[in-house]
Amino acid sequence: MNLLPLRLVFPHMLLLLALMLPGCAPRPGNQQPGVAEEEDFNDPLEDTNRAIFDFNQIVDRNVLVPVAKTYRTVLPDPVRDSLHDFLNNLRAPLNFVNDTLQGDFKRAGQTFARFALNSTVGVGGLIDVAGRWGQLPYREQDLGITLGVWGIPEGPYIVVPVLGPSTPRDLGGQVAEGFGDPWNLLVTGNPWTLYWIPFVRGGVSGIDQRSRYIETLADIERTSLDYYATIRSLYRQRRAALIRGERENLPPPASFSRIDTPAAAVAGMNLAPRRALVSEAPNFSEVRW
Amino acid sequence: MTRRSVLTAALVLIVGVLAPAILAAADPAGVITNLGNRALEVLGKNVPPAQRVARFQELFRQDFDVPGIARFVLGRYWKNATSEQQEEFVKLFQDYIALVYSSQLAAYSGETLKVIGSRADSEGAVVASEIIRPTGSPPVKVEWRLTDQHGSYKIRDVAVDGISMAVTQRSEFASVIQRNGGQVQGLIAMLREKTGSAPGR
Repeated sequence: MNLLPLRLVFPHMLLLLALMLPGCAPRPGNQQPGVAEEEDFNDPLEDTNRAIFDFNQIVDRNVLVPVAKTYRTVLPDPVRDSLHDFLNNLRAPLNFVNDTLQGDFKRAGQTFARFALNSTVGVGGLIDVAGRWGQLPYREQDLGITLGVWGIPEGPYIVVPVLGPSTPRDLGGQVAEGFGDPWNLLVTGNPWTLYWIPFVRGGVSGIDQRSRYIETLADIERTSLDYYATIRSLYRQRRAALIRGERENLPPPASFSRIDTPAAAVAGMNLAPRRALVSEAPNFSEVRW
Repeated sequence: MTRRSVLTAALVLIVGVLAPAILAAADPAGVITNLGNRALEVLGKNVPPAQRVARFQELFRQDFDVPGIARFVLGRYWKNATSEQQEEFVKLFQDYIALVYSSQLAAYSGETLKVIGSRADSEGAVVASEIIRPTGSPPVKVEWRLTDQHGSYKIRDVAVDGISMAVTQRSEFASVIQRNGGQVQGLIAMLREKTGSAPGR
């Protein structure tokens, strides 16, 4: 078997596992007379998901958060920023492909320009020259977003061990990106000695991400009544917003142009193509209040 | 003074003095700018936590469509709740929201709210703004959805980077209720516990 990094194969196996799992057990007691019909969370594997979520919480509390805190304490801000910029720069080839697949050639050009600038003037990506001085900030992009822009539904909610919230669409995108990432291809064709590189990249990426949300997530967990449900909603909405953002990046239909205040005109920002915020949030599209 | 000039004077008074005030109240972007200014005053880092919660509640009651939001976040369960439950829920919800957001806002210092523009929508208006951070990190996009209540605007939802607070809350509450056998009482009990309220307060 081709020894691909665990980071890439692991989610793949889980996806298969998830697909093989039989339909979920019936949800605990409801459907009593006079009780409202259930809200549809599109989470048929909820019981399994919650179990994995609990497991992830244990890993988070005991490993990820302590490591992220240490990371934040030990390394000074500029070093962490550089590392973050470097990791972002490594994503450029994939982001470029995704921009192109979404038909957003302007963005693809910007991604290319960012990569060229940061890899050279920015010392191999350690300094985000393009973002800081070139008005070309990094933008989150991945294959899951591309599939979403293409209109492929996200599918049921799934919680992946260690990696956390996902959907078949997003997880599938991640797996495919793992296979297609030129950096990974570069090392898989090479001697055994290079196999550790994607692991380290994945690990550092995870710690970098986690270190940015230590307080925010702790706060949400402390104040929420059902942390699992809150995270599920936040994840879905965030993904939906990213996809919506990409769609709106494409030339908007003219019928939406309308600016109500002079401030908008002054700022040169056309808010027109933005639709109602809730309208694309999963499961609630029918709601009017 | 002729009758006509009295009338003219009255008109001038109305147009010149009263109209701006009326317009300000009826301008959704103005509502948000105003809220941003007041929020900075009352929720700054130097405010003791106890006061912060109280002040947040005040802002929330003044500028937000509390009954409308409460009804929305309870979703389909609103109709199934008794009127006592509805009433207690609205109360607890306000305390709960104050608890959640006042602690999150406590982390803010030096941020400013910049209103970018607004547009009308079917239920009122949507105001786009940005929270400018002193650290120079990219601004956070915040969209405010307002409901037009007879010419005065009340906030019905806030979306941060595309994530709606009302939808998040609603999803969480629905999950809590479902896990309590579809009973609103289960949610009410948890809210009481979280906010430290005695039953039937």
